Amino acid sequence: MEALIAMMLIAVAALGVAELSGVASRAGDAARVQTSATLMASQKMEQLLSLTWRFDGLGLGQPEGDLTTDVSRDPATTGGTGLGPSPLGALDANTPGHVDFLDRAGRWVGTGAAVPAEAVYVRRWSVAPLASDPADALVLRVLVRSIARTSRHGAGPADAVLTTVRTRKAP
Amino acid sequence: MKRESGFTLVESLVSLVLMVTVSGAVFALVTPAATSSQTHPEALDMQQRARVAGDLLSRDLRMAGAGVSAGPRTGPLNRYFAPLVPRRMGLQRPDGPTVVRADALTISYAPGTHHETTARDPLGPAPSQLRVNQLPNCPVGRPICGYAAGATIAVFDEAGTFDVFTVTAVLGDVASLRAHRTDASHAYPAGAFVTPAETHTYWFDAAARQLRHYDGYLTDVPVVDNVVGVRFEYFGDPNPPVRPRPALGTANCLYDAAGVRLPLPVLPAAGGSTAPLPLSLFSDGPWCGAGDNRFDADLLRVRTVRVTVRVQAAHAGLRGIGADFAVPGTSRSARRALPDYAVTFEVTPRNLNLGR
Repeated sequence: MEALIAMMLIAVAALGVAELSGVASRAGDAARVQTSATLMASQKMEQLLSLTWRFDGLGLGQPEGDLTTDVSRDPATTGGTGLGPSPLGALDANTPGHVDFLDRAGRWVGTGAAVPAEAVYVRRWSVAPLASDPADALVLRVLVRSIARTSRHGAGPADAVLTTVRTRKAP
Repeated sequence: MKRESGFTLVESLVSLVLMVTVSGAVFALVTPAATSSQTHPEALDMQQRARVAGDLLSRDLRMAGAGVSAGPRTGPLNRYFAPLVPRRMGLQRPDGPTVVRADALTISYAPGTHHETTARDPLGPAPSQLRVNQLPNCPVGRPICGYAAGATIAVFDEAGTFDVFTVTAVLGDVASLRAHRTDASHAYPAGAFVTPAETHTYWFDAAARQLRHYDGYLTDVPVVDNVVGVRFEYFGDPNPPVRPRPALGTANCLYDAAGVRLPLPVLPAAGGSTAPLPLSLFSDGPWCGAGDNRFDADLLRVRTVRVTVRVQAAHAGLRGIGADFAVPGTSRSARRALPDYAVTFEVTPRNLNLGR
């Protein structure tokens, strides 16, 4: 009996240690996902910041903005909406022109409503006029999710969300 | 017959079977845990190294081109010279002026200070002493507009020529200089701009598998180990640059002496705002600047930089073979192999995009 109890205790202790190892491993995976997701979100934000959004260079005070670049493709192409307002719900669903998909290393693998097989992350963004200055200021938001984590745990919080405000400037 | 106490054969067998079963279960758990305990710290270390590389490069890239905020001329540095040059520049082992590398980048910017001024006397060539004008923005009561020994300064003109120096000593109103280049530096007229400056060269040492940082003068240190790939890509203005614009009578890489713009192509834009800038564009001229600090005029177009950094597991025993491993290791078990970790990010330097 004593031997059996001792073995049970050993087994329980071993299970506990193994579980700890699993917890650490999952935490490490989550950290990697967050690191990657943050860099991917930052990358899209920087692309949006590189698009023209200013007053004209002639000093006439006329607003100019990029309304044609499609940054959902890599490299970017024309035929998109640039810094034009995005449809409502662009952050909640895969909206063409406001979503792209990336592999584990952050390489672009596609865009559109359907998720490519090799996609590991989905990245969505929205462009909206700032309520207090709708003509000259934009609210830019970028969201990145791990597709695997989303399918395991449901939508839940995104792995990375970045928000900034961009205003027109004179050249 | 006396009966002796003890275990029967059946009891012993049951006990033995139980012990073997439990021990087996424990070993089944311990083995993956042991593997995990070896791979997990390494995986975290790889992430940390990738984060460090990303943070360092992002910080300096965001500052690229930050320019003069006081004095006779203000504005970003790309109005005068290229703040991003895809090669190693400086005093020690600089790349040649026509070399273009995908794995090296020199970033220049002026930290925000109140030491911006102009040269009082002509400089150089190979100047060793500097006198400056004490402009209203200079610190009161401090000679040489507040420069002290050890300061790094940039001297540049409106024609697109620049040099970086370290102030080696200050005596009265004279600063002794040492140029950050191996050839004789350019001559500058009185009135040339003088500003505090920082230069940061990030370069990939393939032999040592390190991302290194060079300050352009005497310090070259590794910043991230076990790096197996670094790549810089450039995107920029489809339209040709319009600055630096020299005074009439002086030609540079963008204008002739009569002030007429030299022809540079309008590039096909990927979208409405920026165009991909292949490295070949940076080695075909026209050339701005002088000597070791020459740079292709197309570098003045750069508005966004994309960086890819790939790190690997430090221990060969945690690397396998195949496309996931730039340097093959000795592990033949997928559970004991950590694929290389690559991060890609972009930076749109704020000072190179003013008014965009």
